[in-house]
Amino acid sequence: MATISFDLVSPENLVFNDEVGTIIVPGKDGDLGILPGHSKVMSSLRPGRVMVYSEDKNLIKSFFVSGGFAEINPEKCIVLAESVVEVNSLEKTSIEKEIQELENKEGKESEEQLSVAKAKLEAINVNYYDKI
Amino acid sequence: MPSLKDIKTQINSVGSTKKITSAMKMVAASKLRRSQEKAEAARPYSSRLEEMLSSLASSAASGEGIIKLLTGTGSDQNYVVVPVSADRGLCGGFNSSINRETFKLVKSLEGNGKKVQLMAVGKKSRDFFNRVMKHQIIESFVDLNVSSTGYESALNISNKLQELYFDGKFDKCILVFNKFKSAISQEVTQQQLIPLDVSNSEKEEEKENSSNAIYDYEPDEETILKDLLPKNVSIQIFKVLLESDAGEQGARMAAMDNATRNAGEMIDSLTLKYNRTRQAFITKELIEIISGAESI
Repeated sequence: MATISFDLVSPENLVFNDEVGTIIVPGKDGDLGILPGHSKVMSSLRPGRVMVYSEDKNLIKSFFVSGGFAEINPEKCIVLAESVVEVNSLEKTSIEKEIQELENKEGKESEEQLSVAKAKLEAINVNYYDKI
Repeated sequence: MPSLKDIKTQINSVGSTKKITSAMKMVAASKLRRSQEKAEAARPYSSRLEEMLSSLASSAASGEGIIKLLTGTGSDQNYVVVPVSADRGLCGGFNSSINRETFKLVKSLEGNGKKVQLMAVGKKSRDFFNRVMKHQIIESFVDLNVSSTGYESALNISNKLQELYFDGKFDKCILVFNKFKSAISQEVTQQQLIPLDVSNSEKEEEKENSSNAIYDYEPDEETILKDLLPKNVSIQIFKVLLESDAGEQGARMAAMDNATRNAGEMIDSLTLKYNRTRQAFITKELIEIISGAESI
């Protein structure tokens, strides 16, 4: 089976760069599953999980991104994310605390942070896409 | 004529200065390596973002709101100039060249009848412009420490700029910063940040358009552009901050290298002088003894 080259880039560094089998990215209008030979798409992302699979459909890594952009063409997929963390390294208790703190605050900025934090919590709790 | 003791003290003090400057040089060299790595790590993101933007830019003819970051306000009366300097000195002409260039730019813009405001980044430019054109500073950012705080610091500046822009406080924003060319040379560069200057990326766009088919946009071009433009401003600032940081370390390293060498030369010439003076004293004493003995 063919592979597609995948770059995950944050402002600070290049987080991931390799040939992979499948990628799932959280598009603004719904999740996008990307296989080699995908048509050209440019999409903005919502906060959520970016899942990377090997050629034989085994999950290699899952990242949490707080939003960004994906540029996809048949040979390459580039995800520009504002902040990237591996889902495994997220801590449930600290995020729950963050959500509680943010819920008490008002204002547009904390609202945004809240939605990101909630998405983070969801990313830990859900396990769909673990096997495809 | 200075006494032997005077020269000796001078040699010692130059010697300790030399020790300090050579230590600073080594510190700057190791910091330079780190800053350079950071600057290089940030490059893929900004270049990809630019590619995306240039392929999108053509689709935005005109518009209200965020699109104004690309198309401009339609006027060019009010400018904001952002000089990016270091927080600390002892790095040769690094800060003063930024200040000089900014000063020249401001004067020439004012000469053309524009209104100019300043947003100083870094202590050295803030202090300088506080002295010469205090009333024009609208905001200053110091102690950014970009190599440790990272993207956050750029975000602060960019948010402030965009807030002012959408309030209609200015029409154009120009960054003045030291572009990192190599470890020993920096180039003072002006970059127009708002509205986005796509003129130099247009060529790439043509190249891309001819070789590539058209993208599907999800949700749609305008929404993406609206997300992309503010992000681009922050990223550009981030890139500039990192470049300037690397440049600062490079400039400091070069300046301290020079200072160390000068101190070495000074010690050599002082040692020579010390030895000469010592010999002169001995000769003088000898002459005194001999002439004393002769007169008896």
